[in-house]
Amino acid sequence: MINDIHNNMQQSAKVIPISIAPHWETMIDNRVPGWLLSLIERLKGLKFVPVRKMQRLVFFLFLTTLVACKKEDLGNVDDIPGLGGDTWAATPIDTWIYDSLTVPLNIAVKYKWDQFELSLNKTLVPPKEEKIIPVLSAVKKVWIDTYIAEAGAVFMKRYCPKFFALAGSASWNTDGTITLGTAEGGRKVVLYVLNDFRTKDMTGFQPSDSFNIKQMFHTIEHEFGHILHQTVYYPVNFKTISVGLYTSNWNNVSDAAARRDGFVTAYAESAPDEDFVEMIAMMLTEGRSGFDAIVNSIPAGTSTNNITQAEAKSRLRKKEAIVVNYFKDTWSIDFYSLQTRVRAAVEQLIK
Amino acid sequence: MRKILSFTLLATIIISGCNKKDDDAFDQSPDERINETLAEYQSALVKAPYGWKGLIYPAGTKGGVFSFYFKFNDSNRVEMFSDFDSTSNVTPATSSYRLKALQQPSLLFDTYSYIHVLSDPDGSVNGGDYGSGLGSDFEFAIMDVGADTIKLTGRFNGSKAYLIKATQQEADDYYSKRYKTRVFANYNKILNYFKRVVVGSNQYQIKVNQVAHTITFTWVDGNGIVQTYTTGYYYTTDGIMLTPPFTDGNITISGFSNMTWNATTATLSFTVNSDAAYIYGLGTPINPDLGAPQRWWKYAVDREIYWVSENGFHVNGVDDAYGITRTPDYYYFIYWPEYGTYSGGNYDLAAPIKVINDTLRLQYGGAHRKPTFSNDGRVVFPYLGSLGAYPTAADSVAMTKTRIQLSESTGYYFVQTGNSTYDMVNAKDGKAWISWIFPQ
Repeated sequence: MINDIHNNMQQSAKVIPISIAPHWETMIDNRVPGWLLSLIERLKGLKFVPVRKMQRLVFFLFLTTLVACKKEDLGNVDDIPGLGGDTWAATPIDTWIYDSLTVPLNIAVKYKWDQFELSLNKTLVPPKEEKIIPVLSAVKKVWIDTYIAEAGAVFMKRYCPKFFALAGSASWNTDGTITLGTAEGGRKVVLYVLNDFRTKDMTGFQPSDSFNIKQMFHTIEHEFGHILHQTVYYPVNFKTISVGLYTSNWNNVSDAAARRDGFVTAYAESAPDEDFVEMIAMMLTEGRSGFDAIVNSIPAGTSTNNITQAEAKSRLRKKEAIVVNYFKDTWSIDFYSLQTRVRAAVEQLIK
Repeated sequence: MRKILSFTLLATIIISGCNKKDDDAFDQSPDERINETLAEYQSALVKAPYGWKGLIYPAGTKGGVFSFYFKFNDSNRVEMFSDFDSTSNVTPATSSYRLKALQQPSLLFDTYSYIHVLSDPDGSVNGGDYGSGLGSDFEFAIMDVGADTIKLTGRFNGSKAYLIKATQQEADDYYSKRYKTRVFANYNKILNYFKRVVVGSNQYQIKVNQVAHTITFTWVDGNGIVQTYTTGYYYTTDGIMLTPPFTDGNITISGFSNMTWNATTATLSFTVNSDAAYIYGLGTPINPDLGAPQRWWKYAVDREIYWVSENGFHVNGVDDAYGITRTPDYYYFIYWPEYGTYSGGNYDLAAPIKVINDTLRLQYGGAHRKPTFSNDGRVVFPYLGSLGAYPTAADSVAMTKTRIQLSESTGYYFVQTGNSTYDMVNAKDGKAWISWIFPQ
């Protein structure tokens, strides 16, 4: 997941990452009650039971008793409310989602309020209806169409998250930061702050709105980056570039200060995996010249961590090279070409 | 023998195990019953010929109330108005709703509309807190469905809400934009600190929270005891309704109707139970806190430090009217009792503190004699002379105006607003005040 600083708000907003827990695969199915686990283990060890004739008879009688006692009747289960998902009279929004996302890519979108898809302890509101198609079509243009153009439809169908949940407001954290997007298990992406989504074609667009738009795509590219590297890991020498500088204190660091240490954003300081996907997200949404501008904005002198200007620049360039090679070697994607397409699509919305 | 006994026992168990008697408490399955209930509620919502009036009491507002109008249709769409602001009161908005079996049958407003504005966690939308808004709800458990009233409870914050069947007249009032006047919104044009509502021979000091939709009444009862009562209000076509109504002895005020605004005298006139009544602003509280000025002054003397105001004087509706916060290097404005001595007596200092080279600094200030405390709860700050030199013309203008205001001869009332916070209100007309906080 990704959070980011929300410039417009009074509180200084910082990010708190959500990532997938380790040992995800070994999770125990919590539908099996604890007491049953030990019983199952015991039964596994039970190999030979001496049975006498009398015992066998009693045992079968006992079984019969159990069977005879089964009088549970589930009744009429043909129409359980809410089974198979909620239903409502379809609107043009539902038709659009079905035609544009569900049929071609098997993506479901939940835009109607369902607290269980979001967090249960946060104050949130559903999105405005007039924002849903603009947001989703922008997502399609900037993220889906560009990857399809570079890597093909099969790649996208296989790896894209299959479920989007939408919220109208940001998710406010107790420390005054806000969360702009989260992802779970490579399957589900939650996008927040839809109600502030304004492209240059909408009335009331202000240059500051482009921040929200870039953040939304930053979030999606960030999460999709996680899916890619969790499928095929990136070269481990990426981790050696900034070794020793990763810190949990990243939310007290500004982006500018992080760049002086050779990180593309402050959040990239949190862990190598985040560093890797922040590189992908920033390079794609800012474009090649935008990324160059970020690298060149690093001022002369040394940072508080004793990193020189030249060293910081070289670290960012090394990371860039690894990302580009990773896309080439692993996914046969020309990263710079993808970057050009994404940036062009983003600029269509904001310039 | 033992064998026979055990087989008999077994047989008994088996036979009794075969008892298939159906003794369900209901003759239908839970699913059938919940579907039936939801269908019943759905048809109740849709069938109201003129829609529903709604009252929502957001849990976060502590007594506030907002009025709504809803018209539900059969394809999950709802049209609504709300008295949140002048636009939402006259412009219908359409969004979606759904009845769903959560732990109880529930009514969900599941895409954004006026009802969600009160819950929006972005405080700039509704004036509430960042992260929680006004603590309202848009997902309700249906508690009770009566002939004309549906009782709801919010599932997240527990806000109470009611839907009341609307009459043709009530629906027509919304669609004909009869709510556009909202005369009571002129309340914030009354620039005096204290406001009173006068009903016949009774007077109540009122404080209106226009964000939370609450009114607090303060009055002195027959035994000389100060009473306060807070209630919610919502807009009507010609005034406001109070819910629950305000009661004092034999007077019950359930609303202000036929309201008009006089801009010249800054007075709201209306009727209460067909008696003429009005709201006006003034500089005198209904129950002056007689000891407050001395308490305030002594608090700082005892601790040998000063009171702080971040924003200077608010005058005639303008924050920092004298521009003290816009002077160069401004940090905050202070009042320091017994700051120094002059020709044998102590004097108090009123001055802005500046930040110069990362240090707090006094550049100039006004010296005042020890304040004169009067028995009616006022205090006057006689001017003694000036200290230091003004670095810029802006400093000179701002400080001179502030000093003249501070030494105003009617003096000031003090209102304690917290443990160590006070509002100091000019007794002349209540149109100038300054808020003091004690630096911790």
